[in-house]
Amino acid sequence: MSEDFIIKCENVKFTYAGSGRPAINGVDFFVKRGEFVSVIGHNGSGKSTLARLLNGLLDADEGKITVLDMDVSDGKNVLEIRKHVGVVFQNPDNQTVASIVEDDIAFGPENIGVEREEIGRRIDWALSAVGMDDYRTATPARLSGGQKQRIAVAGVLAIKPDVLILDESTAMLDPKGRREVIEVVKKLNKEEGMTIILITHFMEEALLADRTIVMNKGEIALEGAPDRIFESGETLETFNLSLPRISVISNNLRSAGMEIKDVLRPEELAAEILKNFNNRGIYEGQSNKNTNKDICRSKEWDIDISNLTYTYSKKSPFAAKALNGIDLHISEGEFFGIIGHTGSGKSTLIQHLNALIKLPQAEKKYRKKRVKKGMTAPIEPHISVGQFDLSNKKCDFKALRAAVGMVFQYPEYQLFAESVFADVAFGLKNFNKKLSSEEIEQAVKSSIEIVGLDYEEVKDKSPFDLSGGQKRRVAIAGVIVTKPHVLILDEPAAGLDPKGKNEIMELLHKLHREWCKTVIIVSHDMDEVADNCTKAAVISKGEVFACGTPAEIFKRADELTALGLDIPLTSKIAAELKKHNVIIESDCTIEDFSKKVAEVFEGAENA
Amino acid sequence: MLNDVTFGQFYPAQSFVHRLDPRLKLLALIAIIVLLFVADNFYSLFAVALVIIAAIAASRVLFKSVLRSVKGILFILVFTAVLNLFFHTGEILLCEWWIFHIYLESIIFTVFFVLRLFFLVMASSILTLTTTPVSLTDGIESLLKPLKYIKFPVHELALIMSIALRFIPTLIDETNRIISAQKARGADFESGNIFKRIKAIVPILIPLLISAFRRADELGDAMDARCYSGSKNRTKYKKLKFGVRDLVAFLIFAALIAGVVLLNIYCEQIFPEIYQYIKIR
Repeated sequence: MSEDFIIKCENVKFTYAGSGRPAINGVDFFVKRGEFVSVIGHNGSGKSTLARLLNGLLDADEGKITVLDMDVSDGKNVLEIRKHVGVVFQNPDNQTVASIVEDDIAFGPENIGVEREEIGRRIDWALSAVGMDDYRTATPARLSGGQKQRIAVAGVLAIKPDVLILDESTAMLDPKGRREVIEVVKKLNKEEGMTIILITHFMEEALLADRTIVMNKGEIALEGAPDRIFESGETLETFNLSLPRISVISNNLRSAGMEIKDVLRPEELAAEILKNFNNRGIYEGQSNKNTNKDICRSKEWDIDISNLTYTYSKKSPFAAKALNGIDLHISEGEFFGIIGHTGSGKSTLIQHLNALIKLPQAEKKYRKKRVKKGMTAPIEPHISVGQFDLSNKKCDFKALRAAVGMVFQYPEYQLFAESVFADVAFGLKNFNKKLSSEEIEQAVKSSIEIVGLDYEEVKDKSPFDLSGGQKRRVAIAGVIVTKPHVLILDEPAAGLDPKGKNEIMELLHKLHREWCKTVIIVSHDMDEVADNCTKAAVISKGEVFACGTPAEIFKRADELTALGLDIPLTSKIAAELKKHNVIIESDCTIEDFSKKVAEVFEGAENA
Repeated sequence: MLNDVTFGQFYPAQSFVHRLDPRLKLLALIAIIVLLFVADNFYSLFAVALVIIAAIAASRVLFKSVLRSVKGILFILVFTAVLNLFFHTGEILLCEWWIFHIYLESIIFTVFFVLRLFFLVMASSILTLTTTPVSLTDGIESLLKPLKYIKFPVHELALIMSIALRFIPTLIDETNRIISAQKARGADFESGNIFKRIKAIVPILIPLLISAFRRADELGDAMDARCYSGSKNRTKYKKLKFGVRDLVAFLIFAALIAGVVLLNIYCEQIFPEIYQYIKIR
C-alpha cells in the first residue's frame, strides 16, 4: 500500500559538483507514517546529504524521491513538501532569524501565509511541545545550546510538518542539552505521532528508534531494529563506527566467560550480570580495591589557583558572576579533566591560566584598594603556573603563553594562513622572533608529524582544503609548536564522530607522553573523562564542586545527577549492582570495570 | 525586559517612553531634528531642549547615560566649534591675531551651533536608550511600508536588518573567541605602529569572514527548509499597535512642537532688546 509510506526513495544517486565520488550511491529508503528512524554513519557517509534530498534542498541526480506521493524533483512541489518535511540542522546558532523567540518561531508560519491568530496559537503549541513556554520573549543569543536547539525545533514544528528530520541536531550540544532535545523528539513521536528521522553519530541516541539505518560511503550498509544492528559489532567497526559503550562491556564480559545478552540500558546490563552471579551462587561480592598509582614527579610545573572570582561586565546592568572563589591545584604530569556544563564557568577558569583574562592585580591600572578601619582586607585571587606568578604585574605574559598552550573549542575555526606551514609557524614566530628559518622548519615539521599528518603532503596546502579532522589536527599543531609544558584543550572532541573522538584522545595521550608535561581537557562527556583522565574537577556555578580521581568523583553519583551532570556508564551499572550488594570499585574505565566484574565472577569459581 | 536586549545602548527600564510605539518615537525624533534646524534663535532652541529634557525625565533613563552618548561626538563638536569660532565673520570684532578674527557674532553662532548638535545627539540617544533594536526595526519597517508601491523591497530590507541584529551578538562572541585563540598563540594586537596593528588583524579577520560565510550558508538552508520564498503570500505575526498612551504622547508632543514654531515666529516681539543679541544670522 502506497499510503503506508510517507517517504519513498528509490535508487537515489547524488554527486556534489566538483566531487568525483557520489555522496549518495543508490539508496532505497522507505519511511512509514509515525515511524521513528535513526540514521547513523561516520562523517561523510552521506547521511546529511540524504536529509537535504528529502526536502528538496538538493536535487537527486538519479532515482526518485516522493514525499506523500509528491515528486520532490518537481519544482512546483518543493514548497508544499517543505511544509510537510521539517529539518532541524546542526548548529543552533545558525537557524534563528529573529532576536526574539516568538518572532523566530513565527517566521515559518508567516512564510506559508498562516493567519495572525493561528500563528499565535501555533507559537503557544510549539513552545509547550519543546517545554520552553517561559521563554516566549527571550533572546536566543542568551539561551543555552540545548534551549536554542529546542527553539529551532519549535520553529520547525510551527509549520506543522508530518515528518521531522534532525540532521545531527545534537552534535554541538552538551549532554544536558542533548537529553533535552532527545526527550522532545521522543515525546513528539509518541504523543503527536510525528514521523521522526534522527540523524546522529551518538550510538546511544540511535538506540531509541524503532529502526536504525547505517550509512557507509553513500550506501545503506545495514538496516534493522537497533538492538539487532549493534549485535553485529565487528561489522560496525569496519564502517568507521564505534560500538555503544554498553556493547563493549557486554563483549568484554562475554569473553570472560559470562553469558550476557545484548541489552541497551545500564539497568538491564546490571540485571544480566546479576543473573550470571546468581547462577554461580554469588549473592554479594566486592572487587579488589584499586591501589592509587601516585605519579612520582617534580613540582616544577604545578598549577595553583586560590580564591579566584570573576564577574563579567562588571558595573553594567548585565553583570554576571562566572567564578565564585575557585581553589584548585593541578600537579605536574596529570591528565586533568575539568567537568561542568555550559555556563558553569569552566571556560572562564581556563582562560585565566594563560592570562587571556588577567587577574585584577596584574592589570596596568590596578591600584590596591585602601582598607577601611575595622574591615578585613578582601582576599585577593592568586594563580601561579610553575614559576609564573600571574598576580604580578611584571609577570612575563608572553613567555607564560608560550609555556601554557591553549586549544579552544572548534580550533579549526581559527585557521587563517595561506598554507598549513604558515599557520603552524604563526605562534612560533610570535613568541620567538629570533629563530632561524631552519629552526622554524624543524619545529613545524615535528609538530605536524606528531599530530599524525604527513608533513611533505600538507605543508603547502591551504588549511581550508583539508578535511574537518585534519583541520583540527593542524590547529592543535599550531598550538603545540612552542612545546608548551602545559596544554589546555577546551572540548577537544566536540562535534567529531566516535572514531574521530577516539583518534583525538589517542593523540592527546601521545602528546602527554612525549610532548607536554600536563594536559588539561575541559569536557562535559563523563565517559571521556572517566576513560582518559588521571584526575578531574567538577565545576558548578563557578565553584569547585569536587576534585579527585574519576573513581572518587563518580562515587558521588547522586549529587552529580542533581547538578544536572551525567555519570559514566560504568558508574551507572556499578550503582545498580550495589543495590544488590555487589560492590565493584573500578577506576571507571570500561576495561577496568569489566576486569573487576570478571574477577568477582571468577573468584567464585576458584573458591 | 532584560530578556530581549541584545546589544547597543538600550537601557532596561519600565517607563512611559519605553512603552511608546517605536514609530511614534522615530517620527518624534525626526520632528525634533527638523525643529532644531528650523530654530533660528535661542528661545526656540531652549524650547526644544525643554522637550528633550522632559522626555529624558519621563523615560527614567540615567542622565549620565545620555551624556555618555554625547561623549562619542565630542571630537566633532570641538573641531567644528573651533573652526566656526575663528572663521565665522561678523561686525563686532573682539580680537584679532594673524589670520584669526573673533567676532561677537561668531561666539554667539558657535554656542548656538554646539548646543544644536548637543541636543540632536541627546534626542537620538533617548530613542536608542528606550527602544530595543528589534522594535526599532519593526518601526522602520512599518514606516517604510508605503514605499512598497514603488517596488521598494521593504520586507527584504527589514529581514536583512533583523538578521543582522540577530547575528551581532553571535559574531561578537565569535570575534572574542578568535582574538583569544590568536592571543594564546602569541599574537599581539596592542603594540606596534599602525601598519603592524593592521597586519595583526588579518588572523582575526580571515577566520571571522570564513565563519560568517559558513553561517550565512547554513542560515540560508535553514530558511529554505522553513518555507521561505520571499515576501509573496506572507503574513505578519507582529503588528505594532498605536494605543491610547501613544495618542496622549502624540498630543503632548504636537502641542510642544506648535509652541516651538510659534516661539520661532513671535519671539522677536517678546524681548526685542535682548533679541538682537541672540538671534542667529
